[in-house]
Amino acid sequence: MNHPSRRASTGRVVVRGTNLTRSFAGRTVLEDVSLALEEGEILGIIGPGGGGKTVLVKMLCGLLVPDDGNVEIFGQDLFRLSGIELQALRRRYGLLFQNYALFDFMNVGDNVAFPMRQAGGWTEDEIQARVQDRLTEVGLPNVRHLFANELSGGMKKRVALARSAVTDPEILFFDDPTAGLDPVTSSKIFALVRSTQQHRGSSCVVISHDIDRMSVICDRYLLIYEGRVHFTGTHTDARESRDSVVREFFHGHGTAGRSQPGVR
Amino acid sequence: MTRILANIGALSLLSMETVGGITIVFMRTLWSLVPPRFDRDETWRNLYKVGVKSYPIVVLTALFTGAIMVIQSGHYVRQTGATGLLGWGAGFAVLAEIGPVMIGLMFSGRVGANNTAELGTMKVTEQIDALRTLAIEPFRYLVVPRFISMIVMLLLLTVLGDLFALGGGAITSELILGVDYRVFFQGVFESHLLDEFVTGLVKAITFGASISVVSCHFGLTVTGGATGVGRAVNASVVTSAIGIFVLDYFITYLTAG
Repeated sequence: MNHPSRRASTGRVVVRGTNLTRSFAGRTVLEDVSLALEEGEILGIIGPGGGGKTVLVKMLCGLLVPDDGNVEIFGQDLFRLSGIELQALRRRYGLLFQNYALFDFMNVGDNVAFPMRQAGGWTEDEIQARVQDRLTEVGLPNVRHLFANELSGGMKKRVALARSAVTDPEILFFDDPTAGLDPVTSSKIFALVRSTQQHRGSSCVVISHDIDRMSVICDRYLLIYEGRVHFTGTHTDARESRDSVVREFFHGHGTAGRSQPGVR
Repeated sequence: MTRILANIGALSLLSMETVGGITIVFMRTLWSLVPPRFDRDETWRNLYKVGVKSYPIVVLTALFTGAIMVIQSGHYVRQTGATGLLGWGAGFAVLAEIGPVMIGLMFSGRVGANNTAELGTMKVTEQIDALRTLAIEPFRYLVVPRFISMIVMLLLLTVLGDLFALGGGAITSELILGVDYRVFFQGVFESHLLDEFVTGLVKAITFGASISVVSCHFGLTVTGGATGVGRAVNASVVTSAIGIFVLDYFITYLTAG
């Protein structure tokens, strides 16, 4: 698959998860999962629903502690940092939540401005200008006075995208950015993910089920199946794979759909 | 028999878990106050939400509380003609006991429940996780401002409530018992109830701290979506009410001697 406008990966690993294992109430959701995200790369994570993709991203962000294994971001072990060190590191990455997670007691403008105000170092004029820029980029220049409950699902996703990228973080995690959206809005969201990555040079992890649209933006894929890494490689690797599970996910035929994947 | 013992054991564990969780929230809040590290904008927002929006219900509750105190005393006042004791009786009961307890319970039902629901909803909609990923410590941003706001505002609302309760008592004594309001207030002022007033304020501060810590604990530990939020609100109101009566008992015991 050709990606003419994409920035090249530098080969430097910015996020590394090693042997990540996590169980809930005695059920193993992820077992021995390892991955690496290179600088400037977009890594797509795919797999069956309920298969632990969100759990994996939450562990990579430090929101969930693994039962075993560790996560390094920019070479720093996330779970060995002090509170202040962790806060400093968190300013270098952003997360777009599957369910938006917009603050419902703030309007759109304040939601997008919030990370900048909390981080400090910007004047209010600079904040307002940046917020307006970001909202314009996501195609919502006139909604800053509205509250989250006044927006549609697609608008909420775009506002959440603007908020997660407003401070230009070096790494962006997108947890199913098109879940529940129509195809047109999904295409717009993926285009925004790509333009955000191109303009800021961020490294990105994207979870989605939408392989067709992911293929336009992702450099590499990680397939999580039955709690383990089943495949990692490019779209071309996947296309040439004879593995039935890989074929199921990438081409819609194979045997994976007949099994009961996911939580073990 | 085994089943009964198992239930008692489970209830004991749950109670200890709750008390432990509340204690941790309280200690972390105190830790965050030395030196003070919290969000000022969020504190102002909470002071307004907690205090300004609560005073109508406090005024109404206080007016009727004072009136009820006087009506209850009315029978004996009529029998004995000791109208001078009316102000003392109502003042004593309102300032030291009924005022802070009633206002605390109203505050718990309105502000505490609202706080648990708000934090619980933030938890289940991942807004608290969003704060963490934005490098904001949720405890300092959410809990400490609420702790400060509830203490300050319950203290002020108790003073306001005391005034209106005595006003309600005076109006009732004039209209229903035919005792001049000046006689009522003379009874209040000549009884030297400063100690009772101060005791009431100490209770208000303690109740404010208790309601904030309890409501934040239940809000932050919500699991299970909307149903979980409902359960947490219920548990928060019940636990806050128990906390108010337990603290009231100890403060009354310590100050009575």
